[in-house]
Amino acid sequence: MSRRAPALALLSRYGFLAVFLGFFIFFATRSDAFLNTSNLVNILEGNAILLVAALGMTLVVASGGIDLSIGIAIDFGGWLAIVAMMDHDVAWPLAIVVGIAVGASVGVFNSFLVVWLGVSPFLATLGTFFIGGSIQQIYTSGGGQVPFREMPEGYQKLATGDTLGIPNEIIVGAIALMLFYVFLERSIHGKRIHAIGLQRSAASVAGINVRGYLWVAFIVASATASVGGIIATAGLRQFTPLAGFSYLLDAIAAVFIGASMHPQQRPNVPGTLVGVLFLGMVSNGLNLMGLDFNFRDALEGLILVGAIALAVSQRRVLGRSGASA
Amino acid sequence: MTNTADTKANALSMHNISKAFPGVQALDSASLAVAPQEIHGLVGENGAGKSTIIKVLAGIYQADRGSVWVDGAPLDQITPETVHERGVRFIHQELSLVPHFSVAESVFMAQEKRGMLGLDTRKMRRLSEAFLAETLGAEIDGRTLIRDLTVAQRKLVQIARALIDGQARLVVFDEPTAVLGATDINTLFGNIRRLRDTGISIVYVSHYLSEITEICDRVTVFRNGEDVGTIDLGGATAPPGPAPSDTDSAWSAANGAPRQGEIIKLMVGREITDMYPDRKPEAGETVLEVSGLSDGSRFSDVNFSVRTGEILGLTGIIGSGREALVDTIYGIRRTRRGSLTIDGAPVKLRSPAQAVRSGLVLVPRDRRNDGLVLDMSVGDNVNMATLDKVSSKLGWLMRAQARRQSDEFAEQLDVRPRRSATIVRFLSGGNQQKVVLARWLATESKVFVLDQPTTGVDVGARSEIYALIAQLATGGAGVIVSSNDLTEILGICDRVLVMVRGRIVAERPTSGLALDELVALTTSSAAATADQGAAIYGPEHRGGLEVGA
Repeated sequence: MSRRAPALALLSRYGFLAVFLGFFIFFATRSDAFLNTSNLVNILEGNAILLVAALGMTLVVASGGIDLSIGIAIDFGGWLAIVAMMDHDVAWPLAIVVGIAVGASVGVFNSFLVVWLGVSPFLATLGTFFIGGSIQQIYTSGGGQVPFREMPEGYQKLATGDTLGIPNEIIVGAIALMLFYVFLERSIHGKRIHAIGLQRSAASVAGINVRGYLWVAFIVASATASVGGIIATAGLRQFTPLAGFSYLLDAIAAVFIGASMHPQQRPNVPGTLVGVLFLGMVSNGLNLMGLDFNFRDALEGLILVGAIALAVSQRRVLGRSGASA
Repeated sequence: MTNTADTKANALSMHNISKAFPGVQALDSASLAVAPQEIHGLVGENGAGKSTIIKVLAGIYQADRGSVWVDGAPLDQITPETVHERGVRFIHQELSLVPHFSVAESVFMAQEKRGMLGLDTRKMRRLSEAFLAETLGAEIDGRTLIRDLTVAQRKLVQIARALIDGQARLVVFDEPTAVLGATDINTLFGNIRRLRDTGISIVYVSHYLSEITEICDRVTVFRNGEDVGTIDLGGATAPPGPAPSDTDSAWSAANGAPRQGEIIKLMVGREITDMYPDRKPEAGETVLEVSGLSDGSRFSDVNFSVRTGEILGLTGIIGSGREALVDTIYGIRRTRRGSLTIDGAPVKLRSPAQAVRSGLVLVPRDRRNDGLVLDMSVGDNVNMATLDKVSSKLGWLMRAQARRQSDEFAEQLDVRPRRSATIVRFLSGGNQQKVVLARWLATESKVFVLDQPTTGVDVGARSEIYALIAQLATGGAGVIVSSNDLTEILGICDRVLVMVRGRIVAERPTSGLALDELVALTTSSAAATADQGAAIYGPEHRGGLEVGA
């Protein structure tokens, strides 16, 4: 084994955590407000929707695919929940169910394209992305907002309320995090999904129902994303068409930043959490320092590319010494 | 060994070529000499080094040692370009043509004719049609798309592409008949002879000994990376009088052709050692029954059964349909006709998952792609098919139990290293294969199909795997070993099925079966199938083959 390999492996695995910590300390020393409990809670609360979307994305990427239509599921979830309450007087808990079901149906459509028709996940979900965006524009007269001032209090509280002093958004995010952790990292289904994502033909020959799990991955991802959309509408008391798109690229970035920390560069739930928190912390910190918010995207890009390049170079060194021809 | 005078006179001289890959000496001072205007055969078992030396000649592999002379002049740098410049051409086994290109485009690919305004398509069409008609005796419209041609016609296009520039001095045919029917083979042979008579030298690589003795002037036999002899076939070639009919040319090794016996002896040249376990086969009830199975292209009308406690061998060279049959039984490929019963119950196999559920499991030939998830641990790979045994009802993975299960089977099979967290990628081939076996042992299945179970497995681990296979049978499972290693088939199996060109042509008990007899059966080419009827060479056979497959 090359002498460079262990150093690189360490750097790749913990290098990002060091960067994370570095930024944390930087912000803490530069801004008095940053370390405030209320500010830290703000970061968590403000990124709950991204976390939920990124968890769904983690599942699809773990199964070997990608979901570019996650924003559509976010939009449709919140939109249809509002429509159900506003136009059909549906009780708010039921409206949430409606929203999630509609979100899940986006995943059903994706699965149909990917599993039945054999379209690649990238192109299938790109198609869904365009179709879903168009539908929103058609029914909102070109993307006009759908306000809902008389929103039931219970629904609003999803985003604005507290439970035992903890903001509800954080609670929803934490529950999603736990469920995904158990499903993807601690259950046999997660094992199988990881196997499919790593080496589909081997998983299939081992008797794993590959098609079935791909259905599950796309549907669960979309349903989860729609929860994010429901929270978003609850916070704003309105539905903003196409707003879900803003979460897509951050979710992908968070998943891959997280994957770069895994010894085999696998997408994983704890890694995704770290990725989301990092993105949230950086935008918050820049904001507090009064720096241009737009720096955040450049930083995000640099970190993402850096983390992945490091992971890849580690793999190359390891591959040269450890693996056979 | 050739001397310098011969080297100068030969069309091709490859001297003491050595080539090592990690863990394998693929070529060990191997030599090959081809005289001018000669059809020179090249034979040997799988792994003997035939394709390696061809790839060295093609500039695909760089030899560690040795020299290559073409037309009496040494080749200092062997790259695909320098070799091409010296007039060496290759007709590859797989049909390396683009399906949506026309015949003319294919013939002139990468050697296009330019006119005043870009490509001169009309000229290319005229030239390719003329070449096909005059040199190869085939009337093919230059505008026809490759995908609309028969496999035999595609082969001719490949040949035309190699020869159209008129610079060819030596043409290497690599298993050219693997995808052809009997009539097409005769046409091809006619063309090869015609090429020789225009002054071109031919290297003819094939598994089919009957073809070698029919068309070649001389043949060089490879074994274990060395050339072990060159036999003059002068008398057997170019039979006088009219071209032989299908049945005349279809004489098999079993009923004549003493030269084939000579070749086989050189090819085999080794004894079966005590690598194989002693066993007293006690066959019980029929556990797997396959009847009338066809996949519509690679094989048809396959019937056989396996009994508990029995090890059934399945063999056949490349193109025999053996691999396709294995994949179809496991549900990887679609069945066209026929049925399959396990323990008397009919089973519809549409996916490997269904096969596993029915109690039929496969150790695939391509271990690194299909057998294992290389980046997962030994434990995960062992438990892959039995995760529900180590989880709660809701699917919570009970790690301690999972660990215990994988350790138990890994220990039983002596997988090393003994750490269930080791990533499988870093295990040796033999240990990787044991991990696959351990996974299936844990399922308690009834039928085990092992495809090329010892490929890439070193000798020590090999005998362990044979012992395991014997153990499976003793434990009451039905076992199928599919392999092109004939000593392995004879050593481990109780009974063997031989496939040739998509059919099972022979079924023999292995006790008392001699290796050369088995070699003769697998390499009998059109001979064995001539009396089986020509039906399988019909359009269905061709239509199912994909370009490049």
